[in-house]
Amino acid sequence: MRSLQSHPVKFTVLLALVWAFVLVLPTMVVASGHGAAAQQSKVAYSGGPPQLEKAKGDACIRESGWMRRNHMDFLKHRRAETVREGLRIRSESLVRCAECHQSHEKFCDQCHNYVGVAPDCFECHSYPK
Amino acid sequence: MTMDRRTVLGLGGVATAGVVLAPGMTLIASPQPDKTEASGDQRWAMLIDVNKCDSDCTACTKACRQENNVPLFGDPNRDIHWIRKLEIRDKEHKRPSVSLPVLCNHCEHPPCAHVCPTQATFKRKDGIVLVDKHRCIGCRYCMLACPYKARSLVYHKTTIPEDGNPKVPIRAKGVVEKCNFCVHLVDEGEKPACVQACSKEGKNAMIFGDLNDPDSEISVKVRTVKTQTIRADLGLKPHVFYEGL
Repeated sequence: MRSLQSHPVKFTVLLALVWAFVLVLPTMVVASGHGAAAQQSKVAYSGGPPQLEKAKGDACIRESGWMRRNHMDFLKHRRAETVREGLRIRSESLVRCAECHQSHEKFCDQCHNYVGVAPDCFECHSYPK
Repeated sequence: MTMDRRTVLGLGGVATAGVVLAPGMTLIASPQPDKTEASGDQRWAMLIDVNKCDSDCTACTKACRQENNVPLFGDPNRDIHWIRKLEIRDKEHKRPSVSLPVLCNHCEHPPCAHVCPTQATFKRKDGIVLVDKHRCIGCRYCMLACPYKARSLVYHKTTIPEDGNPKVPIRAKGVVEKCNFCVHLVDEGEKPACVQACSKEGKNAMIFGDLNDPDSEISVKVRTVKTQTIRADLGLKPHVFYEGL
């Protein structure tokens, strides 16, 4: 029987095939898993950066960068204060959000789907019109 | 021009006072306040005149369902009632039977809030007992604790109705809900939907108002007319009063 050492070229080819399989396998698993996850999520992510609908007004009640980073804490804090303390600030209510961002599907949901978070606000609340 | 020591100190004082006071001052008061907050200055309560309440009238319950998007599943064991009409009959027929609406009594010492393990149920500063549905875990201790059967669990998933009221959110499956004195209307200075419907119907059997205001209609009536609360013996100090019960 001839040893592998006597055919270095064949051995290298075999090694390359094994390595190719090892490298490709996880990619295939991830790809199939990702496909299933995308089917399960409510709005399938279509690729590319989120396309936000242009707001109607001139300026937000806070600076845009601040809003991007802190809107969730802002809304949640206001939510607790509104429910428990009866604090209702007209100029900072969600009704005013909707004056400029008229569709939550085209604004809120775009980023939320992109980063994979699912706040369930609008399963009970109607988005103001 | 030279200033003496007294003038310099005086000007400094004026400048400091100006800097401290000016940010809080506005020259003209805004016509509609931007901010409202529940305050202990008010104590909301309701008075129901049983003599004016007809047994075949369901204006209050209908208005409540419409205003608050309260669904009707058609299953008596699981249906949600924020306000319901009861018929009280005297077994010995000595007194005529009376019909009255029963709703959350917004107790001064609410047992539902006392037993709530997550502090989802709480009493607001103005006396309205509320459920914070964001915190409710649906354990139903409050339903057992309430002697008025005023609370319901949402057993089924509901959807926002087409002709519903968009100002009031629906409740997710598995939380407990009850009458909230139409808190969204009260904060806007309006009366609860049932009271509005009752007066629109021409009955005027329900009065809603502030007990802390000695001149309000309800304060005057509670002082001058004989009123009762349901199960006053429990010492919960309910704030739905009944006249002629």
